[in-house]
Amino acid sequence: MISYLVTVVIFVAIAALVGLALNLQWGLAGLVNFGVSGFVALGAYAVAITAPHVGWLAAMAFAALMCAGLSMLLSLLTIRLEENYLAIVTIGFGEIVRILLLNEGWLTGGALGISGIPRPFAGMTPAGWGDGVILVFAVVLVTAAFAFSEALVRSPFGRVLRAVRDDPTVTAALGKPVLALRVRAFAVGGAIMGLAGALHAFFLTYIDPSQFTPIITAYAFMAVIAGGRGSNLGLILGAGSIMLILEATRFLKDIIPWIDGVQLSALRLGMIGVGIVLMLILRPQGLVAEPKRRYGEFFPKDAAGPAPNRALAEGGKA
Amino acid sequence: MSPKFAPSRRQVMAGLAALPAAALLRTPAAAQAADVPLGMVLPFSGATGPYGPDMKKAAELVVKQVNDAGGILGGRKLKLFIEDSETNPTVGVTGTKKLLEVNKVELVGGFWGSPIALAAKPIILAADKVQMVSCAANAVTDGDNKGMVFRFQAKSTSWGPAGAKVMKDIGAKNVVVLAQQNPFVVAMIEPFKAEMEKLGGKVSQVVMYNPDQPSYRSEVEKAFGADPDAVFCLSLLTDFVSIAKEVYRGGFKSKIVSLSIGADAEGKFLQAVGPEVANGIYHIQPAPPLDSPAYKKFVKEMGAPAGTVFLFAGNAHDQICATALAMEHAKSSEAKVWAKSVFEVCNPPGEEVDDVVKGLEMIRAGKKIKFVGAGATCDFDAKGDQINRSFLVQVVKNGKNEMVGVIS
Repeated sequence: MISYLVTVVIFVAIAALVGLALNLQWGLAGLVNFGVSGFVALGAYAVAITAPHVGWLAAMAFAALMCAGLSMLLSLLTIRLEENYLAIVTIGFGEIVRILLLNEGWLTGGALGISGIPRPFAGMTPAGWGDGVILVFAVVLVTAAFAFSEALVRSPFGRVLRAVRDDPTVTAALGKPVLALRVRAFAVGGAIMGLAGALHAFFLTYIDPSQFTPIITAYAFMAVIAGGRGSNLGLILGAGSIMLILEATRFLKDIIPWIDGVQLSALRLGMIGVGIVLMLILRPQGLVAEPKRRYGEFFPKDAAGPAPNRALAEGGKA
Repeated sequence: MSPKFAPSRRQVMAGLAALPAAALLRTPAAAQAADVPLGMVLPFSGATGPYGPDMKKAAELVVKQVNDAGGILGGRKLKLFIEDSETNPTVGVTGTKKLLEVNKVELVGGFWGSPIALAAKPIILAADKVQMVSCAANAVTDGDNKGMVFRFQAKSTSWGPAGAKVMKDIGAKNVVVLAQQNPFVVAMIEPFKAEMEKLGGKVSQVVMYNPDQPSYRSEVEKAFGADPDAVFCLSLLTDFVSIAKEVYRGGFKSKIVSLSIGADAEGKFLQAVGPEVANGIYHIQPAPPLDSPAYKKFVKEMGAPAGTVFLFAGNAHDQICATALAMEHAKSSEAKVWAKSVFEVCNPPGEEVDDVVKGLEMIRAGKKIKFVGAGATCDFDAKGDQINRSFLVQVVKNGKNEMVGVIS
């Protein structure tokens, strides 16, 4: 049982990393990214291809940098594209990555995928503890990404990103470089997605293109919506609860005799859908709403300054 | 949930802390000490979803037969746990992990589709349990498998030459391959080309396509447009349905040789496209022992019309049979021990037996048996691959599958 829970927690960690990245891009900066699965796949493949040659640390750094770089290039499209159009372009990107991985067999193994990916600290791990090491690794990564995102939210960079999200025109009028800000937000998010892919590759030790279907993107959006757009704590809860529903429903058929596997497989996914719809109706701000940030949080009382501009300093509509 | 629900930090932390308790809510679903837990990872949704229900039914059939006859190892009952793979390797991995850790299964069987089997393999081997697969990619049995991986299916590389022999029989010299990009299919192409050349034909073109495309029109036009004698369509069910309709719409005249997993799929292809579109399509698959009484009985028990050719359901049936027989032979339900007995009960020499209950009785009586399954004769080489698999060639005529011959 313990080892199964470890597996579930690792998958929650991967989902949480992807979610944190999406929360940064979409929740904080307002950039819709439907190509999440593509970035995760790139991260996973970058690690799988380079790790045997350069070691896990350099491979992860390479994965993060490559995904950041590609994210920057992709986000340059936001010069002209916003919202719906950006969404379509990113969907295209995700599919292009998957199809390339499937067809460039000389590099990626094509449909056969890559097996035997070396895990970090594999040489020092006692037999049977491999997953435990990955668990620690995953928790450290999520904690670091969470702390980083929280710090980012509270920093001037995070503040101006919220401003870009809420009204780019006003922000531009105030002299902020909207495009540069968006590119940076997208790059940071892309790097975190690459790390999530790396974790996925290290954990499974076998990857192939069919593991990186757009369902990853869908789950990431569900986690952000369920948790509360813009709220990192909510996101961790959202990612956790979606995985919990997905995995816990496995046990239904062991307990309830009249439900069989065929019905359950349809029911499980249906339940998540119903859950999200109910969530949006009953609690549109998510499990944990993005905190209302007040002027005083950023500028201590005694500091002289202009009257609080709440439109800029607040996010969400709770 | 009221809109005013706003948990405090403490409530959130308390909720998080209570999460592990959720695990305790589960009734002890794991088998009681006397039961022998077996697991299967099968597809019920996604692209290969149509194959899962029959495999489940076949496996449950064996479990019921064995248990009704008193179980194995002196009265222990088999208990079957099944997880949905959703045709997704990641989901297959969590399902496998659940079977191994929660249900404590000795066998993880099923596995339609090589990517899922390949992703689950390291986990099953690390737990020292047996993996039985119904998929074909050569990579599944490659490497050091500790003798714990068994393939209830013909290897990819043996499907290709069988296809070439069909091409020769129908007089096709100039042939095009239209194939889905997946590990099982890709491995067939080179052996097919080599065999075609040996038989005096040639493969003029190979057209690959990606799974789950919204349309296959351009690939179909490319493959059929040059008007070859025949096209070898290496497709699975969902894509082959679209392709067959596209070929019919385009009025192409080339003959089609396909795989039964696409062009029959236990009758689902005909249901989907109707008799006109399917007319004249040849298809091949590793043959079950069609004339054996056991196979006929199996078809009847599955509730299918006589003459139905099962492939995956038969393999699922055989996996559970071989496991039960091997456990009885080894006098142990421990995977490491009974894995070796799989060879003993499945390979000759021995008295041939096709009924699992009868086989168990004979083992108890100390006889040496050779199990013949509903999916194949179940002979294994040292790597765990099934050998001696012959291929059944059928053609669709007037909405029915007609047998053309058997290629060995």
